[in-house]
Amino acid sequence: MAILEAQNVTREYRMSAETIRALSGISVAIEPGEFVAILGTSGSGKSTLLNLFGGLDRPTAGEILFEGKSLRPLTSTEMSRYRLRSVGMIFQTFNLIPTMTARENVELALAFAGLGRSERRRRALELLDQVGLSNRAGHLPSELSGGEQQRVSIARAIANNPRILLADEPTGNLDSHRADEIMKLLDDMRRRDGRTIILVTHDRELANQYADRIIRLKDGSTIE
Amino acid sequence: MNFTDIISLALRNLRQARLRTSLTVIGVIVGVAAIVTMVSFGLGLQNNILKDAFSRIDFFTSITVFGPGADAIMSMRDGGEASNGQRNQDTASSESRPVLDDKAIEELRKLDGVRYVYPNFSFESFVRFEGRTRRTGISGAPTDVEYNPRFRDFIAGRHIAGADAPEVVITERFMTRMRTAGSARRSQRRGPGDGPFQTLPEKTEAERKRLAEEVIGKTLTILTLPSGPESTESSASVFGVPLLDLPVQSEEAGDDGQFEGADDGLLSQLERHNYTIVGVLKAQEGVNLNIGSGGAIFIPMEHAGRFRAANRPPLERLGEMLAGDIGYQSAEVRVTDLARVETIKDQIKKMGFNFWNIGNQIEEIKRVFLIINASLALIGGIALLVASFGISNTMIMSIRERTREIGVMKAIGGSDSEIMRIFFVEASLIGLTGGVLGVLGGWGIDRIANLLANRWITQQAGQAIRQVEFFSIPWYLSGGAILFAVLVSLVAAVYPAMSAARVDPIKALRYE
Repeated sequence: MAILEAQNVTREYRMSAETIRALSGISVAIEPGEFVAILGTSGSGKSTLLNLFGGLDRPTAGEILFEGKSLRPLTSTEMSRYRLRSVGMIFQTFNLIPTMTARENVELALAFAGLGRSERRRRALELLDQVGLSNRAGHLPSELSGGEQQRVSIARAIANNPRILLADEPTGNLDSHRADEIMKLLDDMRRRDGRTIILVTHDRELANQYADRIIRLKDGSTIE
Repeated sequence: MNFTDIISLALRNLRQARLRTSLTVIGVIVGVAAIVTMVSFGLGLQNNILKDAFSRIDFFTSITVFGPGADAIMSMRDGGEASNGQRNQDTASSESRPVLDDKAIEELRKLDGVRYVYPNFSFESFVRFEGRTRRTGISGAPTDVEYNPRFRDFIAGRHIAGADAPEVVITERFMTRMRTAGSARRSQRRGPGDGPFQTLPEKTEAERKRLAEEVIGKTLTILTLPSGPESTESSASVFGVPLLDLPVQSEEAGDDGQFEGADDGLLSQLERHNYTIVGVLKAQEGVNLNIGSGGAIFIPMEHAGRFRAANRPPLERLGEMLAGDIGYQSAEVRVTDLARVETIKDQIKKMGFNFWNIGNQIEEIKRVFLIINASLALIGGIALLVASFGISNTMIMSIRERTREIGVMKAIGGSDSEIMRIFFVEASLIGLTGGVLGVLGGWGIDRIANLLANRWITQQAGQAIRQVEFFSIPWYLSGGAILFAVLVSLVAAVYPAMSAARVDPIKALRYE
């Protein structure tokens, strides 16, 4: 059974008078443990699809299924639990909280899960160690390089041990060397921990290099 | 996310915008301090007025019953005789009012739950003590009553021994007034014991006791108009009212020998009654609720009744002559316990007498103060209302700035209610801090105002008097003010917190 599935998903945005259709009737299934790349130019709807998978957004029509169950009936609180427990998100711009140290950023995700203070600290350091940043735990994001920041955000994404990692152009702001490191780290997450990785990118080469499967999007539809 | 996490997150947010937070808190401080100062002043006033009454249950178990008086009796009679419709209506209710005579007093005594009843004999006359003469209120005191709260707190001495003993009990205030030479003129107008605010002499208990003991055994002379029938005959009179100049000279005129010197024919007709001081009643602190009632010195009942008859104002005598026996003007009914006061009041009403009991008054006073305090709180509340807009503003600003952060929190699993809670906690921390500091500020303002007010009073009085406490901050005022500040802050945070919860994470994260 697919771990994540989009069934005939349409997503429309209303922009003042006109309606923009970001996704039109897309159907995609992701199997557990897969490394899938969603490839497309900007405006192809790839980020919209990722946000729907990540539970940040809801489709206008169609269903998003997680482990075979539709996300549609979930209340907003249940949806936030889904984001907390089931998926981890990684962004192009890292989205770390600038006033919190690397450790505190990771701890925040653990705090939402209700972990106690000391347990949280221990786990956060463990996670930062996993991404090779144990020596940078006390630094603010502004004191870290782009690659380091992205690693912190990966540590945060896997903090509550989700089965799925959703990465939206995770290497978009990094040079090729650092980008490689990040991609290797994500690949590790899959191989070692068996997580499902969904990578959104416009970089064909990167997709070819790491993904088991590539889904191409154009104007809100899949093209084979 | 547990509560301590939310608090530490909220604190962190507040710390980040330190200046803005402090300014907002200052707004709340001003509002809360305004409420506390205003209401504490109202409560202080109320306390000063009610302290005396509440500190002594005796006030509540006393009912003063009034006789109808000459005027009422005459109009009753007229209404009956000349069937003038207009007048009949006027007096219809009082037509059945009985005279407060010995028979009525006996009836009152028989009521269940009445400890004792005795008529009030009070009059004003001149009293001479240690070479000074002062006009003062004189009352009769029952000597056969076992328990009489009025004559319980003696600072020195004892109560009058018997119904015919030539003994007098004086109040501490009267003693102080008689013995303070320098402030004679002042005390005439604004002396201790005259105004509504009663203050104790600024002396130690031992000092006061010593001073009181000094006067025990000394002689005090009461000067009255002639009371015997033979003296009434001898003086010029109209309908038995002596055409005698009442000694209305100023107090100083009577001082030290002058009075003796002016010993002409008319003055020689005054009767001098010598009494031995046997007791000094302790002064009570607080506000005097019985202004004008009760004397400054007390002599046996019988004597007071006799002197009063002779010293009544001429018009009162005239009225009595026209109306016949008008009985006593008033009588004090002492009830055994508080629970019976209401039933006895009903019975007195049925008997047809007017009466006064402090219970009614206290209720009235409390009601008035409730209104006063509510208005004061309202004025202070306006300041807090203004502050609440400041809170709203601060929260909205803070949410605008942190839109992206809110988006991140949502993306990594923060729920709407958790986000909302963070902002509610932030607002209530502002309210709590402002509330606590505001109460302290209000307390500080009270202390300074109290100090200045007392200094001013002392200057006006020209002598050191005991500190009056004008403000009162009971725990429920400080607690209530803080709680109210927190509540107002929470209300002010409703819109900002809701808009924080509504932040669309996709839009928020798109911000670059």
